[in-house]
Amino acid sequence: MLASESPSSLELVLTVPSPRDLSDTDLSPYDAICLGNTYCRRVEGNFAENLGLLPDAVAALHAAGKKAYVTSPAAPRGHDMAQVKRLIDAAVSAGADALEVHNMGVLRVLREKGIPLPAHMGAYANVYTHLSARVMRDYGAVRVRPNAEVSLEEMAVIARDAGVEVEVLAHGKIPLGITEKCFLLEGPEGEDPKCPSACREEHWLTAGSPKQARNRSGAGAWVLKNVGKGILSGKDMCVIEHLPRLLSEGFRIFGVEGLYESAAYRSEVGAVYREALALASSGREYALRPEWGRTLAKHSRNGFCNGYYFGGSGQSYVGTVLQGGNSQV
Amino acid sequence: MAELLASGGTVEMARVVLDSGADAVYVGAKGWSRRRAQYEMDDEEVIASARYAQSLGKILRVAFNTLPSSSEVPLLLAKAEKFVGAGIHDFILTDVGAIRALAERFPGVQIHASIGCTIVNAEDARFYKEAGATQVVTECRMDREEMGKIRQEVGVGVEVLVHATTCYTYLGRCTMSSYTRQEWRFDEEGKNHFLGSPNRGGLCYRVCLTEWDQRGEDGSVEAGRVVLPNLAYFLVDDIPGLIDLGVTTIKIQGREYSVPLVGNMVRFYRDLIDSYLRDRSSFRMEAWKERMAGIVSARDAERREKTASLISESGLSA
Repeated sequence: MLASESPSSLELVLTVPSPRDLSDTDLSPYDAICLGNTYCRRVEGNFAENLGLLPDAVAALHAAGKKAYVTSPAAPRGHDMAQVKRLIDAAVSAGADALEVHNMGVLRVLREKGIPLPAHMGAYANVYTHLSARVMRDYGAVRVRPNAEVSLEEMAVIARDAGVEVEVLAHGKIPLGITEKCFLLEGPEGEDPKCPSACREEHWLTAGSPKQARNRSGAGAWVLKNVGKGILSGKDMCVIEHLPRLLSEGFRIFGVEGLYESAAYRSEVGAVYREALALASSGREYALRPEWGRTLAKHSRNGFCNGYYFGGSGQSYVGTVLQGGNSQV
Repeated sequence: MAELLASGGTVEMARVVLDSGADAVYVGAKGWSRRRAQYEMDDEEVIASARYAQSLGKILRVAFNTLPSSSEVPLLLAKAEKFVGAGIHDFILTDVGAIRALAERFPGVQIHASIGCTIVNAEDARFYKEAGATQVVTECRMDREEMGKIRQEVGVGVEVLVHATTCYTYLGRCTMSSYTRQEWRFDEEGKNHFLGSPNRGGLCYRVCLTEWDQRGEDGSVEAGRVVLPNLAYFLVDDIPGLIDLGVTTIKIQGREYSVPLVGNMVRFYRDLIDSYLRDRSSFRMEAWKERMAGIVSARDAERREKTASLISESGLSA
């Protein structure tokens, strides 16, 4: 569907890496689930790696009335491409609704195979302009999630002029980087006894003065989340104050980042956004309910951010209700 | 024969690297490359430097390798038109939409898909070739086998950075700097310089190079003063192999270094490459290592100073 014919129905989409995370999460708030972990092939139970898991997972999601997407590796080397080809075949045969793609080589393989399923371009696909989204559309992309740095104003242009849907990250850690090697291991992946359990635990990188610590991570001025082969924001992207604006600008697809989060995080954040989206699209006056703020704050160790959307630093927060309008909490 | 490409952060540097033996020089159009404006050139400087390169039978390549806003694409095409009109036919770009637009608008121009494209496999290279790229810069850690595949099977030029930095993250897929600090600043032409975003306008605050504490779930420190691996490298040992592999361009980064240092680096690589090409069988690398050590030490000293100043500028309080 073209952006100019934006779907009238909302879609709240969640990323879920593995069967255990899927079964532990209350999926009822969500319309679609993106299965698998794009950062690391070795993550325990990774849907994008353990292809035999896909048919049952996709069937269960379809039976629950949800769309099922499958992600692919963000930075596959040449020796990973055979697995990428198997992944595409498995996703098609499982009946998945789309393949999430971050790497242009993966996108090209998809087209080589005749685009057997549509592509959703992920945050690492580096979509910054409507022109790049158009090129990707020619290879099978029907949806793009622009890079984290792209502002709402810029996203609106992409949605208007690229002929693809635009997904907005509504809540969760912002993807800031992918790495070749796992930071949490001393030995090689697969040989180090800490793999793959190390990334199931939480690890934060903090810098700056401890005097400035105002959060549960004990952090100073900067906090990042290190997930082994990826760097995520320490704060949680949060657009709950801005949902009416996002809806009025035509955005309909809202993502919640569920990778490296708890089941309670995925379940409760989803429930808050489902309620908030219902209110924001009802035509009634929109005001944040105190319990929404409490739930989101409970799951946010280091405060909220949304600065990229407004042309500022990613870690700053624009808003007047949550964080009392303080951009740096 | 592999082209030696070096940085032209200023008019003076462009002239010095060409005089020191580079076959080609790359320069950033102001606001449009992965460095801050002081290491970029305005249009007249670009054109004058191109004329100098042409007078020596050499090439000047203009970097337009930021990820722009959609609304800035007309500015890019207008600037490219001006440069093409002045006889410049070589460009470096990152945004695949901009690559296709430029290739369609100016048939015959040479377009290099920048390091910011993060080309990690041969299929990536094929994608950029189909969009209009004539050469691709391979990701810094790509192995020789994949480079060979790109050269032979994909059939585009292969450009390798032999003197650059392997970032902690994949270069081109990192927004750690702009996460900590980003400001929109528009120049008189209307180009946003996106200060703090190296992908969009230059100026990476190198926040990865600060000292970090790694903390666990309960907030306790698991490891103090953690360093995220990020190395400036000097792939001198690889050069004979890269030449044998048939790489098209050997590139030396360094727009932010001092002109004498960059000049020395270029002269070093020129001499080394020429020596290898003269007699591959009797070439010995050992003799070059001593000369290299002095350059590495000067480079590292300049880089340390720059990094400390950038981290400080990013706003991290001590």
